[in-house]
Amino acid sequence: MDERKLIRLAQGGDFDAFNTLIAGHKDKIYRLALKLTGNREDADDIVQETFLKAIDNIDKFRMEASFGTWLYTIALNSVRAHAGKEKRMSLKPIEEYLPSDHSSDAAELFEWGDPHQIFENKQLQELIERALAEMPIKYSTPFVLRYMEEMSVNEVAEMLKLTVAATKSRILRARLALREKLEDVFRERVHG
Amino acid sequence: MGKCNKQIQQICDYVDGELESALCAELEAQLKECNNCRLMVDSLKQTVVLCREGKPEPLPKELEAKLNNALRRRWEKKFGKKQG
Repeated sequence: MDERKLIRLAQGGDFDAFNTLIAGHKDKIYRLALKLTGNREDADDIVQETFLKAIDNIDKFRMEASFGTWLYTIALNSVRAHAGKEKRMSLKPIEEYLPSDHSSDAAELFEWGDPHQIFENKQLQELIERALAEMPIKYSTPFVLRYMEEMSVNEVAEMLKLTVAATKSRILRARLALREKLEDVFRERVHG
Repeated sequence: MGKCNKQIQQICDYVDGELESALCAELEAQLKECNNCRLMVDSLKQTVVLCREGKPEPLPKELEAKLNNALRRRWEKKFGKKQG
């Protein structure tokens, strides 16, 4: 059955239709919440809040966006509400993440090689999880949507109601911050 | 590597395969000359690769059961209990 038909049935009170609609989104919303909060308790709350709000507002859904996009929007509002209570590290301006100049002799950056030779997979994932959870969500959200949820820059911009330029800039800053964080840890591990 | 936002954005676009081909050739020439640029390209690429390597964690079973109960209760409150 197509999505529009299921939505109409759900709007008329058909719980089975609603369950069919959300079935493919439960894991995705949980994963998104977990990446952005780094905390299972918060992710649990966000999943529950998202689907309860979807029930409360199902009759207001006008099919202007896909059902999945609508759920993501509700989930991101819930993430913002949770993150608002925490203090997160601020990011530096973009230029401060860059090495000083061109130099073929003395590279300032650390040569990563294969990070799997430095840390085990599980440790690498924990490092990334922690770094994303410490980042202000205005940066981590577009980064996660772009590279971990595989959305295009335009889709991310539309979902977050940002210009494409602002979206690209936030994704770039998050990527540079994450890169630097990982590099610091790799360098520390290799050089002590 | 210049401390230039435009250039680092171009490097990211290049890493993501989204830089127009004329600029690609220019950037590739620069990568041969500049160690920092080369290391930046490699580490920016690996940053995203590592993020994508994480095993997707499904919604825990006990949470799903709790969620389903909460959803049913909310549904019945909104639409009433299903007859039959």
